[in-house]
Amino acid sequence: MLARILKSPPVWISLIVVAVASTLPLYVSGYVLGLLTIAYYFGVFSMAWDLLFGFANEVNFGPTFLIGLGAYTAGILDSLYQPPIILCIAAGVAASVTGGVVLALPALRVRGPYFGLTTLVAVLMLQNFVVVAAELTGGEIGLTVPDVISINDRTNYWIALGFMTVSGAILYGLSRSPVGLILQASGQDAVQAAALGFNVTKHKLAAFIVSAFFSGLAGALMVFYLGAASVGTFIDVTVGVQVIVGAVLGGRRTILGAAIGAVFLIAMGEALRPLGDLSTFIVSAIALFVVLVFPGGLLGMLKGAREAT
Amino acid sequence: MSGSEPRLEVTGLSKRFGGLTAVRDVGFSIQAGEILGLIGPNGSGKSTVMKAILGVERPDTGSVRVDGVEVAGWPSHRIARLGVGMVFQHSRPLHRQTVLENILLGLLPDHLLAVLPDPANEARARAIADRVGLGAVLDRRPSTLPFADLRRIEIAKAIARDPKVVLVDEPFAGLTARETSAFAKLIAEMRDDGRAVLIVDHNVKSISALVDRVYAMYVGERIAEGSVAEVMQNETVRRVYLGGALETAARPESSFRDAQTPFLEVEKLSVFYGKAQALEDVSIHVHQGEFVAIVGLNGAGKTTLFNAISGLRKYGGEIRRQGQALRGKSAASIARAGIVQSPEGRELFTEMTVRENLEMGGGRLEEKERAERSEFLFDLFPILKARARQTAGTLSGGEQQMLTIARALMMKPDLLILDEPTLGLAPVIMEQISKALERLRGRTDITVLLGEQNVTFALPHADRVYVLEHGRIVWEGDPSRFAAEVGERYL
Amino acid sequence: MLFWQILIDGFAISALYALGATGFTLIFGVTGVLNLSHGAIMVAAAVAAWAAAGNWGLGPYLGAMFGVGVGVLLSLATYFLIVQRLQRSRAIREEEKEIFILTATLLWGIMIQEAIAYLFTNNAKTVLPIVEGVVTIAGVRTPANEIFTACVCWLAIGALWLFVNRTRAGKAVLAASMNPKGVTLLGIELSAVYVAVWAVYGALAGIAGVLLGMFLGVSSYSAGPLTASAFSIVVLGGLGSVSGSLIAAYIVGYLETLTAYLISPAYRAIPALLLLVAVMYVRPRGLLGRR
Repeated sequence: MLARILKSPPVWISLIVVAVASTLPLYVSGYVLGLLTIAYYFGVFSMAWDLLFGFANEVNFGPTFLIGLGAYTAGILDSLYQPPIILCIAAGVAASVTGGVVLALPALRVRGPYFGLTTLVAVLMLQNFVVVAAELTGGEIGLTVPDVISINDRTNYWIALGFMTVSGAILYGLSRSPVGLILQASGQDAVQAAALGFNVTKHKLAAFIVSAFFSGLAGALMVFYLGAASVGTFIDVTVGVQVIVGAVLGGRRTILGAAIGAVFLIAMGEALRPLGDLSTFIVSAIALFVVLVFPGGLLGMLKGAREAT
Repeated sequence: MSGSEPRLEVTGLSKRFGGLTAVRDVGFSIQAGEILGLIGPNGSGKSTVMKAILGVERPDTGSVRVDGVEVAGWPSHRIARLGVGMVFQHSRPLHRQTVLENILLGLLPDHLLAVLPDPANEARARAIADRVGLGAVLDRRPSTLPFADLRRIEIAKAIARDPKVVLVDEPFAGLTARETSAFAKLIAEMRDDGRAVLIVDHNVKSISALVDRVYAMYVGERIAEGSVAEVMQNETVRRVYLGGALETAARPESSFRDAQTPFLEVEKLSVFYGKAQALEDVSIHVHQGEFVAIVGLNGAGKTTLFNAISGLRKYGGEIRRQGQALRGKSAASIARAGIVQSPEGRELFTEMTVRENLEMGGGRLEEKERAERSEFLFDLFPILKARARQTAGTLSGGEQQMLTIARALMMKPDLLILDEPTLGLAPVIMEQISKALERLRGRTDITVLLGEQNVTFALPHADRVYVLEHGRIVWEGDPSRFAAEVGERYL
Repeated sequence: MLFWQILIDGFAISALYALGATGFTLIFGVTGVLNLSHGAIMVAAAVAAWAAAGNWGLGPYLGAMFGVGVGVLLSLATYFLIVQRLQRSRAIREEEKEIFILTATLLWGIMIQEAIAYLFTNNAKTVLPIVEGVVTIAGVRTPANEIFTACVCWLAIGALWLFVNRTRAGKAVLAASMNPKGVTLLGIELSAVYVAVWAVYGALAGIAGVLLGMFLGVSSYSAGPLTASAFSIVVLGGLGSVSGSLIAAYIVGYLETLTAYLISPAYRAIPALLLLVAVMYVRPRGLLGRR
């Protein structure tokens, strides 16, 4: 089966794209590299979200709760005690995984729109906390982090690209594995999945943890790329919207589509920057258009049909 | 059959939902290598019994033992791992996966770290697929397959779990005659494998050849148990399904004035639910002022037929009202035009009072007319007058049914469609509804299309009868000939 | 003194919250849609009123009416362009329609917000008030505008109650929130009911937006927080319950006012948020929710 996965078109096309992308630093400006670096981290945010939504069928309206926990924990630790970066990142991941578990608990008990609401509330809480505890977190101005992983554009770019590729490989592999199959069944019809002998709660909790792990890790890494953390970059609802829209835009339940959608969104946002204030408007309009007309997302468009999955 | 210990033993099972007792003191046992048929009409509690066995619902009292192990109250997945499997009626396969992958789902262990596929499983999945007849389509996606194959996938998933006890929910719904016999064979094979099989269905007839014994339920309780013949002869069962002695009072068809173009014409109607065919080539007609009964057991397709007429379902074929095609009209406009349904599900506004529900029905009438009409209906159903200020949700089942009919009548319909008005009601209430129907028939010129399972109730109010079975009209004629020509075969 | 001040201020701000939340809950109760462009519609109404009253010189009354009209228009646009389209789409599975509607209304809200920022800048604006001056109640000097706001909010809520309980159209809306199929069976076109509900919602959101603009002022940045607060109030009160929203609005309004006066304005949003979290864990249905 491993051989079959490697031979499938999405995979080897992705490998080619990654190979090409890794050569970009040779002929592209530092500005574009910086943009793409951020885009790749967002790619991981969106892929982690897709695992939860596309497979476990759990709508997380506050992915930035997990991302923010990871980013700020790592950042605050560093600004307070300056331990090795690895430790900060580990702490960030631990924080976001804990957050994921905390979020999962009510989720697995409530139905319908209530879970989505819980996730939104979590983001609002975190946002308020960061603003109010300004001495610790830098409040609305933001936090400056003393260390960065590297100041070299190319190094940062390759780290981001490599991280996205590895994360994507793991997440995609999970989605195509037996566990991914169980997760899909659990998400689609919990009663029938249980009748087949699967402990739905256990699997969904695991999905939350995996999603939180990658979200937190990507958030922490991004803090040490930017050298700063702020509500506007990591927590704000608009950031969360970008993550979600990226995944839906790319094509849900594909993992790879999520990465494509996220990168596309960010690239487009930048490309339209000369238009000034209109850029957000246009990006949202295009995203809305795709959502309304091509619910299967970009990947769905490429596959031709308007999927009725 | 041998074996001292039954594979599945249910004792004293009871379950209430709020004020409603869904199941009361139900008990039966199934040995290995035996098929038990659990039958009952809608609302009999059979689904709740199924859910209790599966662990989806927790019984209030009673025990469920699998090979002697008490499982009542266990979480569903644990019961499944112990060896209880189910073939769901309304199941959806994973559409992005192939048939093979769908079947594999039944073979996977419940491990978080099942990251690497087990090659042995694939071979097992193929073997199972061959056994159920899916060998040729293993690499196809479910959306490309016909309905019967989708059902095969469900059977394959259940078999893959190698269960000791298998529950099958309405195995033949939506299948053609040929597919039905193929599936019957598969189920018989499950029994021959030494499993205990519980088939749940609306009526005995469809599963009579397959089951060893039958357990019949009505309104939450057992009404009969035994061999197929014993149960079909049982007095209570016959009364529940057929009613009692058959009386008729028909007016000849020629007495209706619109002989050329009947008020309602349904021509070669076919309806699909997804891929399952619910109605096939159904043609009926109703004259102005006539009372026509469509008799058939639950699941035969009566509700589907009525929903098609009311514009609530898409269909193939033609439906005409006084010669004008109804296709393309919205459901609300068909209701406004005088074809009104009193649905099986009642669809009352539960938080509004009786009076308010009636007012909603008479919303398009003038104040004075509405008051007159209300009076007429309170006269027809006196109990509603007494309960006028009560909220609909607090009424008893019979009172709710009367309110549903009254609300429909508030619209002054030309054609009133009554869908299973007596389902689950006590004989006393049935009497009242029967009297009301008699008055409508004798003193007004309303046209009625009555869908009923209870033949004894329906026949005295019918000028003509159609028999609907598995989505097809199998008999049409005079009520007086019904007993002679259909009677025995009905159940 | 402080007591009266808190009582009055809290009452006014709660009334405003109540009006906004009522509209939000009405839409959810009848159509099942959580409209995430709610705040944007309110802000659009306010800015439209500001522009009409001030820039285009129509004066406060006409300006306010124009603002409410814009609210109705945007609300209907939301229904026809987005919600109806997605609800009827055959390319999306039923269970997923909810997230699509949420995502789409969110994007639509952002579009409206950005359009406002582009056309009118994102500076805060105060709408020309209809009522000016100061009155003294129980020894507290209160802007007459504040009393006016509270009165209009309650008049609007009262009008809604009359509509739903005393008019045929309103009763159809109430019935549709209980059983849409039942409404169709009685010959009432559901689509007409939905148009009516979205129009009424637009008016409620428009009035709330214009009043907010007069009372506290708005900017394009207000859209998100407005949606969030309406959301929280409605969840607290119970999704789909109008009376629940009213009660919750007052709880939140007073909690905020008390916090702002007694602790610090910076922390005003916190207690309500904590309450919301508690409710989510203990009784996700909310105070009076039935769904």
